[in-house]
Amino acid sequence: MLGLFLGVLTAIGGFVDIGDLVTQSVVGSRFGLSLVWVTVLSVVGIVVFAQMSGRVAAVSRRATFEIIRERLGPRLGFANLGASFLINLLTLTAEIGGIALALQLATSIAPGLWVPVAGAAVWIVLWRVKFKIMENVVGIVGLCLVAFTVAVFLLKPDWGQLGHSLVPSVPSGEHPSTYWYYAVSLFGAGLTPYEVFFFSSGAREERWTPRDLSLSRANVFLGFPLGGAVSLSNCVCATLVLLPLGIQVSSLSQVVLPVAQAGGAILVIVLILGIVAATFGAALETCLSSGYTIAQYFGWSWGKFRRPAQAARFHVVLIVSLLVSLGILATGADPVQVTEASVVLSALALPLTYLPILIVANDRQYMGEHVNGRVMNAFGLVFLALIVVASVASIPLLIISGMGA
Amino acid sequence: MARRRRAADADAGAGLPVDDSPRGQVVDARLHVLDRQVVDRDGVPVCTVDDVDIAGLERGRYADGVRDTGVLVAAAPAGADPPEPPRIGALLSGAVLWTRTFGGDPRLGHLARVPWSDVTDVDVVLAVARAAGGYEANWSENWVRERFIARIPGGRHAAD
Repeated sequence: MLGLFLGVLTAIGGFVDIGDLVTQSVVGSRFGLSLVWVTVLSVVGIVVFAQMSGRVAAVSRRATFEIIRERLGPRLGFANLGASFLINLLTLTAEIGGIALALQLATSIAPGLWVPVAGAAVWIVLWRVKFKIMENVVGIVGLCLVAFTVAVFLLKPDWGQLGHSLVPSVPSGEHPSTYWYYAVSLFGAGLTPYEVFFFSSGAREERWTPRDLSLSRANVFLGFPLGGAVSLSNCVCATLVLLPLGIQVSSLSQVVLPVAQAGGAILVIVLILGIVAATFGAALETCLSSGYTIAQYFGWSWGKFRRPAQAARFHVVLIVSLLVSLGILATGADPVQVTEASVVLSALALPLTYLPILIVANDRQYMGEHVNGRVMNAFGLVFLALIVVASVASIPLLIISGMGA
Repeated sequence: MARRRRAADADAGAGLPVDDSPRGQVVDARLHVLDRQVVDRDGVPVCTVDDVDIAGLERGRYADGVRDTGVLVAAAPAGADPPEPPRIGALLSGAVLWTRTFGGDPRLGHLARVPWSDVTDVDVVLAVARAAGGYEANWSENWVRERFIARIPGGRHAAD
């Protein structure tokens, strides 16, 4: 059981990090369940590509950014590195802010005071705690987020009516461009590239070999659907409580409201514990990913399984990323707004990340007998096409909809 | 420098396509060498292959032996007839990445070289015989370690 938390921790970054927590709540309160199909689609997509990247890492022992550099060459690889690194950095900034916001909910102490504490805690874990312990503790505590799912049941919804509202449609009063902007954002967030960077590098940290292929599969098929289900529960909560009241979500405290109404103080405490773990986990995931991507592109020694002195440049990247994030937060930037810029960067990073994975998963020199089967390739190609369409559409939609205003 | 050049008698690893010609296994420099990771005998990363240095080339001359043709040709050391074929001399890393990406000529002093004679295996990674720390390509790792990381408490110890 304890071997399964790499997938859970990875999925946290994609589906229930601070940006997603707020976005799903916004979507639920504005669009009801009419965008649920996007999250379901992105769960299938990330399962397909995380499964491929985990298999490549177990069989060929190469993590994803090594493959990106090898297949795309220095130029396109560098373009992807730049975009992916900025996504990591912006998300890391948002998550540290998110930890502080969650701790504010619990303690009423201003987030500005929690930010340095959160940053120091993240660094200590990266510097001194074993990968396995980090992954298990954060993954287990992160499971407290099922408080969203518990809340859905406690709210005793009319299931038939909920089922009917799953039909994709633009609600009256919303412009189609806004609907599609949120669709593209949710899809991009579900498939955000640091998930495969972290998952494949985590597989190397844990020294997976071809014998661990079933472990890889179990991680993928447990972690991502779980993350997606929790994320959708949040959306359903907002639909049930916030939508009828016409509440426009703009802060984390509003995200917690439906859970408070459903389960009272105890369920809120559990949820906040889950949110702290999820934002902390996403901070670890994005910070490590910033180190993994740069080290793998340049061929540096990397990984938490080595002593810091034996992966010196990798640890410098982690420290510098953290300091830059704290610097951005010190300017008073809104952590949730910071992640919105990632949509633009994802347009470049998503296709350039998933194409090389698909190619190498079919390369017999890397994969031997473990190359993709036809079904896997069919899924891979369909999702690659969807990713390209979403990438091309994202920037015009962002401009037309005024960032979903 | 060596795009698409086929290094005939390289020590090729398992899984590479086999050429039926008498030359043996074929290594496509662009497919199987460039941008791959170089690891040492213990599996520690040394660098990425940013470029490849071809040994045994010289500037071509017209028959008068003076005018430069602008084309690189196989060098013909005295007494060698026919001239020896060019070979991979070294794997290059470092600043050469930027000139390969953006153009221009790398400064010779800035080339971190891994001699091809050190390469023991060409597979999805290139394995080399010596320890990573001994290569010039790793100087910045050593520098960062001694200046910063090893000085932070816990820097030399394994995680708990």
